[in-house]
Amino acid sequence: MKFIENKRSREAEAWLKKEIVEQKRRYRKIVAEQEALTPKRDKWIADFLQRIQTRGVHTHYDQMRKVRPEEIPVKPKRKFKVVF
Amino acid sequence: MTLPGFPKGMQYKMLSLDTDNGASSMTVLFEPGYKQPPGMSYTEYELFIMSGSITIGEKVWGPGSYVFVPAGVALEALSSPRGATGLIFYNYGEPSFVESDSDHPQAERNRYAAVNAYDNLHWTTFMYCMTPNFWQDNISYHDCCEEAYHIWGTSWMMQFGDLPTGGYFWRPPYINHGAFASKLGILAIGRTDTQLYNHFHFNPWTNIEENQERAASRMLHRNPEMYKWINTHGHNHPIDFEFDHGHAHGDRPHHHGDGMVEHKHKKKRRRR
Repeated sequence: MKFIENKRSREAEAWLKKEIVEQKRRYRKIVAEQEALTPKRDKWIADFLQRIQTRGVHTHYDQMRKVRPEEIPVKPKRKFKVVF
Repeated sequence: MTLPGFPKGMQYKMLSLDTDNGASSMTVLFEPGYKQPPGMSYTEYELFIMSGSITIGEKVWGPGSYVFVPAGVALEALSSPRGATGLIFYNYGEPSFVESDSDHPQAERNRYAAVNAYDNLHWTTFMYCMTPNFWQDNISYHDCCEEAYHIWGTSWMMQFGDLPTGGYFWRPPYINHGAFASKLGILAIGRTDTQLYNHFHFNPWTNIEENQERAASRMLHRNPEMYKWINTHGHNHPIDFEFDHGHAHGDRPHHHGDGMVEHKHKKKRRRR
């Protein structure tokens, strides 16, 4: 038994309503912060794609293999998102 | 801020809240002298102590203590003579406290657990660390949700940037995360809603649907029956039949990718 059905008190209803508003505001803030990170993220990804060709990609614990240039993925045209 | 129905002297800061049912993750501060009578919650919850100590019954629990309290189990009187900070996770509903010195009839006391998490944790709640200058150049995603709180240290993920001490994330299934790095090292507490499996790759551009497809095809090789379940659309992780978060029609309880429970299926016309 992970949850026991019960009737929420008026006080709990009011608390939940307020917290849901807060959660939605928190989510919007996260989305905006992550959107602002786009230029840095683009560079981090470019660096990563470079590193896995020179130093290698981790395949299992400390084991690495170098990725061949033809294996490097191409950025699709669709909008890139990291928060859902 | 204090939680409704709880004694005064416990402050909380919300980390994340499920807007459907009120399940929530929060940091809490037990003020010195805090006292809470014996009582139960309608949802199971987990408590982790980060600093200071609390007393449950007559036993003192310090930093690293982890308590899992099933729904309806009456916890003994809790107090914190000198104060404490911690994390509380209410797993299936909003925080609730009902003063009671006996268990609810539906309570499963045998599932109650209280341990030192720095020694070991066997559940889908776990401690993890990164050593100073740790780095891992690959990208991962999981079939499960994952959340984590940094007790100490800094880490970096290629998609999301830096996470400092006190940093927190909650991430739905199939979202790329990594590469990873940590300059100073970290100590963190993490949670998943089911078994965690790392699907590693190096394509930063894949989306949720592509990752789910790839995870499903990998699972086809490992567990063909599970793959049939995945094809009902939803998520890849094993459904909890005891507490199914879907509904029953056809031969299996399920929900769809949009999480909708209240929906009907059109009757299929038989071919003549």
